[in-house]
Amino acid sequence: MFPIPWLPFIPLCPLVASIVIFTMKPAWSRIAAGVAISAMAMSTVLAFAALSTTFTHPQVVATSFDWFSVGDQHFDFGFILNPLTGSTAAMVTFVGLLIFIYSAAYMEHDENKTCFFGYLSLFAFGMLGLVISNSLLLLFMCWEIVGLASYLLIGFWYQKPSAAAAAKKAFITTRIGDLGFLLGLFWVYRETGTFLFYHYGSGILEPGPLAALASSPGFWGFSAAGAISLLIFAGAMGKSGQFPLHVWLPDAMEGPTPVSALIHAATMVAAGVFLVARTYPLFALDGRVLAIVAWVGVGTALFAAIIAVAQFDIKRILAYSTISQLGLMMAGIGVGGPPIGMFHLLTHAFFKALLFLGAGSIIHGCHGEQDIRKMGGIARPMPVTTLAYLCGVLALCAFPFTSGYFSKDEILLSAWHSNPAIFWVAAIASLLTAFYMTRQCCYVFLGVYRNEEHRHPHESSWVMVGPLLILAIFALAGGAVAHMNGILEYLGDKEPLVVNSTVVVIGWIISLGGISLGFLAYGLRPLTATGSDPFALTILGRAFYLDEIYAATFGRLVTVLSYLAEIVDAILLIVTELLVFIAREFSLLFAFKTDRVVIDRWFFDDICSNLRSLGGVVTRPQDGLLSNYLRSIALGSLLLAILFWCCHS
Amino acid sequence: MNITFTILSTLAIVSALLAARLRNLVYAVLSLMIFFSALAALFIVLLAEFIGAVQILVYVGAVGILILFAIMLTHHIAGSTGERIDARGWFWAIPAAGAVLFGILLPAIIYTPLPLVPSSSTYEPSVLHLGQALMSPYAATLEIMALLLTAAMIGAVVIAMTLQPGDKEKHADQN
Amino acid sequence: MTPLSSYLVLAAIIFFIGLLGALTRRHAIIVLICIELMLNAANLNFIAFWRFNPHPEAMLGPIFVLFSIAVAGSEAAVGLALVISIYRFYRSVDVEKMNALQG
Repeated sequence: MFPIPWLPFIPLCPLVASIVIFTMKPAWSRIAAGVAISAMAMSTVLAFAALSTTFTHPQVVATSFDWFSVGDQHFDFGFILNPLTGSTAAMVTFVGLLIFIYSAAYMEHDENKTCFFGYLSLFAFGMLGLVISNSLLLLFMCWEIVGLASYLLIGFWYQKPSAAAAAKKAFITTRIGDLGFLLGLFWVYRETGTFLFYHYGSGILEPGPLAALASSPGFWGFSAAGAISLLIFAGAMGKSGQFPLHVWLPDAMEGPTPVSALIHAATMVAAGVFLVARTYPLFALDGRVLAIVAWVGVGTALFAAIIAVAQFDIKRILAYSTISQLGLMMAGIGVGGPPIGMFHLLTHAFFKALLFLGAGSIIHGCHGEQDIRKMGGIARPMPVTTLAYLCGVLALCAFPFTSGYFSKDEILLSAWHSNPAIFWVAAIASLLTAFYMTRQCCYVFLGVYRNEEHRHPHESSWVMVGPLLILAIFALAGGAVAHMNGILEYLGDKEPLVVNSTVVVIGWIISLGGISLGFLAYGLRPLTATGSDPFALTILGRAFYLDEIYAATFGRLVTVLSYLAEIVDAILLIVTELLVFIAREFSLLFAFKTDRVVIDRWFFDDICSNLRSLGGVVTRPQDGLLSNYLRSIALGSLLLAILFWCCHS
Repeated sequence: MNITFTILSTLAIVSALLAARLRNLVYAVLSLMIFFSALAALFIVLLAEFIGAVQILVYVGAVGILILFAIMLTHHIAGSTGERIDARGWFWAIPAAGAVLFGILLPAIIYTPLPLVPSSSTYEPSVLHLGQALMSPYAATLEIMALLLTAAMIGAVVIAMTLQPGDKEKHADQN
Repeated sequence: MTPLSSYLVLAAIIFFIGLLGALTRRHAIIVLICIELMLNAANLNFIAFWRFNPHPEAMLGPIFVLFSIAVAGSEAAVGLALVISIYRFYRSVDVEKMNALQG
């Protein structure tokens, strides 16, 4: 029963756009942006139509196709439409559309912008396919497509060695997580025989197989369901930048700002959270797994928030902020279930995209400067950007009645009811979030412009600023509207928690207090470009030297392994050279000893010369002398006569 | 043994030997003619008079003279030049010819039962019978012989004739 | 009456002489002479056999010898014409010099 057969077109429109863009003639490259935007617009319309369908049919509607079979093993894929899918698809397409429009202006002067839109469309295809997939295998494939698109887009300016290195780092780090995901994938298939989520009672998220998984043994004392959940969570950790696989996200800021906005703020990094939300029934079977998820999430949140306090690159602050918020989302799922986490994901998408696009506008206006110590006083020359950016900052800091406030409040509420320790850690992380965002705003918007070259910042074009304003509206009001319309019930929360006044109050204190503390530390005195920053400790600035630790341990390990491989390679080379030498000697033996001597000389030359000398011998009677011939005739007739005589006697 | 036969056979053998072994060519040809004559006499003794006459006419009269002409045309009398007359490998000719004589001819003569006397002494051989034989069973052979002789004549003329370099134009002008 | 074998022996001896000469001599014309000797020996043989034949009326002997003489005459003519022609080319009648057909 599938009311909307056009669900697959949601990812297919951007795929067609990317194919068209990659195969179009270079003369038509100017319309690449238009192609991508129109495809995304079509997907947006379809996604909103799907969303509205889920309002009336909130139950899960899935379909599946038999993709291929190997013997009696089937590999199916299919599509699913439920509130989770509908809301995420609508968010991805809408935010994506706004970012595409923004990129049309941002990447205008780049010579590779056609390629850029092709990659963006490819990414959109992967992300949307991931969202509507009913099969874990199809989800994994789209997961990989999204990872590929991320690699291509981070390393878009590949001539910069730092960008190329960042792209590699992102891909490799997420690969480590994907290994866990793949193992979980295999295990699920082995236990249940299918990859589908919902399939008439035999899908892996349906009660029957879930019970089977819960009763099978796993490892480390977990059941099979728990073990698989942990493996899938490993993949989510890689993609969503949870500690310790978060190291790629700050470096991914080497990519163009629209890429950072779309992929590393709103959508791709949210894919990990989405995966956990999608496979939540598997996670829910074991409380310890949920606890692990929550602790990893909230630990990451605190960790990233501490580091963000000491960063000076405008985008890096936002990157660590993203890591921190993703941690909170994971924690939300861990303590409260998918609706809590997904609500924060949806609101975060809007205001984080807004923040990144605003940062892009600021960077654009400051002629490429990204260090906040060299900015300042941006508020006057770029008022619209400042206004939009501040809306995003308020939402991120969970200022009361912004969208971020509602979603973060739900997380805190669930944490309060399930595990107070998690609540307090999350609270401290939120405080720090407010603090460092205020710090950033003070550096960027207040004071005087501190850049040495004294080039004046200018406001960006309306094509760039327009999406900012739209996102700002959503950042401010979206959360309230959604909350009042019962988003949590819509997303599947059957009995929402009662509002606890203590939590609300603590939330207000955190948000307002963090902002005030930041203002006190940074807003009162004028900031200088090289002035000291009491909170920017070196260890924080270098992110606890995690990159260096990884290089020293895993990097060294890889180097040692490569040396070993080289040794093995050398041995193999020697062996093969030896074989080649022996073969060559054999062939030389055959060629020169056998072929030349036996066949050429004996069989050919000698026989020919022998025949010739035989001919010479035989020709000797032919000397032309008449008397000899006559004598031969006489003897011949004698012989004939003897023969005649013998026959007749 | 008949005395006639003895004399004639001795004459034939000696003249044959001389014809085969003389250094002087003309002497050899003359000796050959004597041989032909001896043989003709033998034919007559054997009551084949016509053949004897033909022998004289053809061999002595025509062939002998022909050989003399040929000798004269080749200008090589080889009188007493001192060169050897025998070809190379003449030594091996003796056993070869001897083998023919002693291996074929003499054994054939010895081992074949031969009639001792002539069949009839009352036979009067005549040219009439010869002519009748030529006309009735052997007419075709006669014609073929005529053809052969014609061909030989024409062939001999063609072979022996030479055209001088100037004759070609002369003949071309005349034709 | 002399027996047939005498005539046959005589013919054999003459044939032997002719064969020896043909195999031995260097001069081309002498070779032709020796060939005539051999032919005549054969003719003698025929006539001898005819004489001792029970049916001499058939005239086989003389007929054959007649044709033999005719053939021998034409052969002598053509052979001598050849010798003359060869003499013009080689300037000699030595058969040892006429070995162009060797090999």
